Amino acid sequence: MSNTSENPKPSSSSAKMTLKTSDNELFEVEEAVAMKFCTVKQYFEDEKDSDVAARGSTTVIPLPNVHSAVLATLISYGKKLPQSNAVADNHEEEETKKKERKKYEQGLLKNLMPGELLDLISAANYLDFKEGLEFFNQALADHIQNKSVEYVRKFFGIKNDYEPHEEEKYREEYAWAFEGVDED
Amino acid sequence: MRRMDNRGDFIQRLGLDISINILNLLDDPSDLVRACAVSRSWSQFVIENSLCKQLCLKLFPELSSVTHVIEVENLIEPVKISAGGSPEWERLKRDNRVYAFFARGLTPLIKKDCIIEPISASSTDNYPDESIQNTLEPEDRIGFRASYWSSKGESDPNVPEILTYKLVAQLCVVTEIQVQPFQAYFQFGFPIYSSKAVRFRLGYSRYPLELVDGMLIHHRWSDNDFIWMYTSPEFPVAQENELQKFKLPEAVLCIGGILQVELLGRVQKQEMDGLYYICVSHVQVVGRPLSSPFDIDTLDSSGKFTLKYNPETQLPEGEADTPSRLRTFTTRLLQLLGNGPVGNNELDEEPPVL
Repeated sequence: MSNTSENPKPSSSSAKMTLKTSDNELFEVEEAVAMKFCTVKQYFEDEKDSDVAARGSTTVIPLPNVHSAVLATLISYGKKLPQSNAVADNHEEEETKKKERKKYEQGLLKNLMPGELLDLISAANYLDFKEGLEFFNQALADHIQNKSVEYVRKFFGIKNDYEPHEEEKYREEYAWAFEGVDED
Repeated sequence: MRRMDNRGDFIQRLGLDISINILNLLDDPSDLVRACAVSRSWSQFVIENSLCKQLCLKLFPELSSVTHVIEVENLIEPVKISAGGSPEWERLKRDNRVYAFFARGLTPLIKKDCIIEPISASSTDNYPDESIQNTLEPEDRIGFRASYWSSKGESDPNVPEILTYKLVAQLCVVTEIQVQPFQAYFQFGFPIYSSKAVRFRLGYSRYPLELVDGMLIHHRWSDNDFIWMYTSPEFPVAQENELQKFKLPEAVLCIGGILQVELLGRVQKQEMDGLYYICVSHVQVVGRPLSSPFDIDTLDSSGKFTLKYNPETQLPEGEADTPSRLRTFTTRLLQLLGNGPVGNNELDEEPPVL
């Protein structure tokens, strides 16, 4: 995962902000994307109030709880979201963008380790990044929904601390819940 | 790049709120049940945070009028409090079990014909020929006899009519109600006596329903006898001789099993007397009734209920009145006594501590 931000498209309207991660990496991000991180937005607005002369690129916003690899993913995800100030697309453009986003999301989730997913959720929560939090929460729930108990234990690295007879009794009582499950 | 830790137990790592949010994304009670099987800490988390109950409330907000839950078999054997447990924990465990089964019971097949018996009609023109009883019959005639309900005639077309029915179970999810207006095929011009609009209410009866001569409709009911927990929006009714389907905006859990059909606005005058009538040939309710092992007790008329779960009762149809608790107790007692003679007095004794 690259830890430098991609070259932003030249845009006269969007200012940039610099975010600094826990491992001291600097990320230059378009304001429109950074504002999706409400924690950043709040910090920025507080800065404005305290009368800092130059805004945007000279203000470095520290994010001591977020690692660069995680921030890179969240920024990348944030960029792919429909921008609130974007010009409205026609239906076809919208459909193409939707498909692209779906493909991107699938690619993103495919190689994600459980620990990484938790880091993303944790960071999205810290940054108050609603769309990101929703997306990654759902991604995590998808690893529980309709999955077998063995899969869940394996994926989340959880040790089974039940006695065999306890577990068997439970499975008998709730037999209906253990049928037709994905054996992943 | 920093090596990522593979241990992903989110419940431990992400904190209470996020973990609850994630587990609340699950729509199927089976998922929560399996989550409890993953490990003790997961089970504890699900139970402590009443996640099964929250799922039921999400599926059916009407359940917020359930104040507490009892598991009927525990009335015979006292709740065994495990070492280190507490009454509160036992209650949470029991709630978890009951709500899991309840959510499960609410999910399978939709059934039609959820009306079991008519209760009353606000007015009836020719009783019993045009009684509300006829609306349970899908056909508008049986042999040569027409089968429909008719209101009394009114000169004011704004006078509404109300039909009240008892559903097939005290707990019933209702998704759709179907109404067929009646077309008088024996009158000149074949007029259709529909209403302008229709609205539905679901609720419960304040007191146990009274039968007179074995039938509910012989009792004199008043508006006061019922309490309505849900009122649907108004649906326009077409003046067509068709079974018209009115799908509720969302599935509603009717606690109490009483349905009211409000027919609003009259459209058809009868030529003979110049009065407006409303006539209905059929009413049908589509939904999922829940009977044993679930039942409800009305606590009082403020709308609070006890949800009763008796896993011992998986009764075949038609045995709803059997006192199963007594039967279970009797069976156990007989087993204890080695099938010896059981006099009547024995049933009044306290159960032996096992």
